[in-house]
Amino acid sequence: MIKESYNAADENELVKASLNGDKNAFGEIVVRYQKMVARTVKGMLGDSVFAEDIGQEVFINLYNSLPEFRGEAKLSTYIQRIAVNMTLNEINRRKRFFSLFSQKGNNEMYEFEVADRDTENRREASEIVNIALMKMDPKFRIIVTMRMLHGYSTKETAEILELPLGTVLSRLSRAQKQLKDILEKL
Amino acid sequence: MNPSEIKKLLLSSASSDTDTRDVARRLEEEGISFDFSNGFRDKVLNNLVSSGLVIKHEMEFVKNMNFAFYRIALTGVAAIVVLLISIFLMEGSLSLNSFLGLSDSYNESIVCLITGN
Repeated sequence: MIKESYNAADENELVKASLNGDKNAFGEIVVRYQKMVARTVKGMLGDSVFAEDIGQEVFINLYNSLPEFRGEAKLSTYIQRIAVNMTLNEINRRKRFFSLFSQKGNNEMYEFEVADRDTENRREASEIVNIALMKMDPKFRIIVTMRMLHGYSTKETAEILELPLGTVLSRLSRAQKQLKDILEKL
Repeated sequence: MNPSEIKKLLLSSASSDTDTRDVARRLEEEGISFDFSNGFRDKVLNNLVSSGLVIKHEMEFVKNMNFAFYRIALTGVAAIVVLLISIFLMEGSLSLNSFLGLSDSYNESIVCLITGN
């Protein structure tokens, strides 16, 4: 049965209805988790239209892989994993692409990616966050993005990234050093 | 929040002791939040419909190919069976010579046939 509104539905109901081809139910999943995906994708790739395309692909990928979702993890964790994997794939793809044309790497794209901020103050704050993230090594950037933009604990970060807790902690300490160096130069 | 406070906040988010939920909340209060443009949901659903149509077309093509293959393969198998039966009935065996139509020929006549002498 196709319902008009799924505002109050729980995630199991939304998944079941989406699997039955109910686009409204899937639309509700998109609405509920789009901000979470935006934080991951834009935090990792910069605030650009390309990031929005990747965001769309994340949800299309989710729709196609819903039959494999067994409900062992939370839907948000499942979506977050898809977003992280697709974003890291995109970073690798860009690296390969830019290494063909430039020796400087993809940080050069930054000036193009950071645009369209409202007030001067906010722009400055946003730019500091964006520049700092974009200059970080992607494997450190993903951990800082998870913690800084999503507010996840180290344990939650390890669970989402499917990494041992020790690895997350060691990367976090190296990320802190790198971030300190970057912020000193800003 | 001035730039040095933002930097301090960023740095604290990379420390394992920090309450990161508070960092995320404070950044959001400063207007540092990420979201997609308006109408994102509709764009996703439209893409879903078009990608679904492509998959449907691809599936129909594969289905047609399978159907055609089975029709051709079954006809081929039936023809081979008929051929084997007819060879057996005409030659009385299914030996290689029967297949080649040489079961009644002697070696000499085959040499004549090949060389023309």
